[in-house]
Amino acid sequence: MRSARASYAVVSVLAAFMLAGCGLSVPTDPDGTLDRVRSDGVLRVGASPSPGWVDVTGERPSGREPELVERFAGDLGVEVEWTVGGEEHLVRLLEDGAIDLAVGGVTDENPWVDKVGLTRHYVEVSAAGATEEGATEKHVMMVPMGENAFQSELERWLDENGPDS
Amino acid sequence: MSAGSDAADEGYSARFGHVELPEDEAGALRRAKRLEVVTLAFMGSAIAVVYLTMGSSQAMKTAWIEDMLALVPPLAFLVAVRRARKRPTPDHPYGYHRSTAIGHLTAAVALLVVGLSLTVDSALGLLRAEHPPIGTTELLGHTVWSGWLMIAAMTYTGIGPFVLGRLKLPLAEQLHDKVLYADADMQKADWMTAAGTIVGVLGIGIGLWWADAAAALLISLSIVRDGWKNLRSSSDALMDQRARTFDDGRPHPVTIEVDEVLRGLPWVADSRSRVRDQGHVFHIEAFVRPRAGEVADLERLEEAVAMLRELDWKIHDVVLMPVRDLPETIPDPRP
Repeated sequence: MRSARASYAVVSVLAAFMLAGCGLSVPTDPDGTLDRVRSDGVLRVGASPSPGWVDVTGERPSGREPELVERFAGDLGVEVEWTVGGEEHLVRLLEDGAIDLAVGGVTDENPWVDKVGLTRHYVEVSAAGATEEGATEKHVMMVPMGENAFQSELERWLDENGPDS
Repeated sequence: MSAGSDAADEGYSARFGHVELPEDEAGALRRAKRLEVVTLAFMGSAIAVVYLTMGSSQAMKTAWIEDMLALVPPLAFLVAVRRARKRPTPDHPYGYHRSTAIGHLTAAVALLVVGLSLTVDSALGLLRAEHPPIGTTELLGHTVWSGWLMIAAMTYTGIGPFVLGRLKLPLAEQLHDKVLYADADMQKADWMTAAGTIVGVLGIGIGLWWADAAAALLISLSIVRDGWKNLRSSSDALMDQRARTFDDGRPHPVTIEVDEVLRGLPWVADSRSRVRDQGHVFHIEAFVRPRAGEVADLERLEEAVAMLRELDWKIHDVVLMPVRDLPETIPDPRP
């Protein structure tokens, strides 16, 4: 009876696999972010000003992170559509699926971890204004929660092309 | 009159209180202890592996806490059998057998907590429509999807409990040890959770965000059921419920056989008994009404006690009392 229930669970998920079937790749985005970016040719990115990382005073955001994002988009063969806003605003846009990626000098210790997906850190630098000797901060980018194909694509690209590569 | 088995040979280590274990059961006890030590070592390594792969995943964190709770039943078993070995003292005239019941209760609570935490966690995940993020890991210069690592870790943490649980069940029956039985249930919970996580992570891999939480929810319901069942039976046993089989599936046959044996004696007209489970061993109080004109003398009573002892090694303390009328306060155990 109990193991029957377990095997029922296994069978139903296996059935789901087969339904999803044909040409599936792992991981896949539940909401299809990576596929949509590729087919629309547009990567919608939010930028939040952060000294040394993101500068939003110009016509287009510039600085270390916007430049990385532009190169990533270039390798995907798509254009970047920028949205400038505060961190909380960008987090909400990510949650709503209105943007695909957000940058703003964010580290892995930011408070949005249960609202958005964070990439693995792509660079580790000595912490700004740190009192402790040798203290570092790990910089990450924010992506929509659970869009694992898009997140994995970005992380893989950062591994190969990021400042630490 | 009363009697306990007195083969008080200090050199013998395989015993519960002053009940010497038969050779087969002594072997089973040694194997059970060894299995529990292996379980503790294996679960310790599983805790380390899950800790290293969990990252920021909430689901893996839950699995990690569960692995820690899985240490409770083996520890409860080892402590309980150690205590149960002690001979009765003036302060503990019944011996220390009940340590088993306490161990069973402890293991049952641990099992129930695991089930409930998994239920709440997975149900909330489904309700909030949380899309679990699983990114990549850099492994030996390659970027690999972390899902594959989680599946590898879960395969490792699942295989141990799958094998160990299966080895423990027959020993639990042979030793009539309910802590060991609850522990086998815990191991089943462990490997089913691991299997569910594997299915769930694969589901997430093909874009089904709900797969992990749904698999966990299904499995958690069966863990809660096992925990509840063990909690009920362990508290019933502490309230002197009549002895039941090792899996609490039905009343232990001994509870019926005692009266059958006594009624089979030529000088006995009728009998009524209570058999309670002290933990491993049973404690029997039996009342017999002699036939008219027959005398229940010491020889006959001693012979009757010896016959009851023959029924099962678990029969430990037997109190046999000749009476004019069977006590009405004891219900007839026959179905």
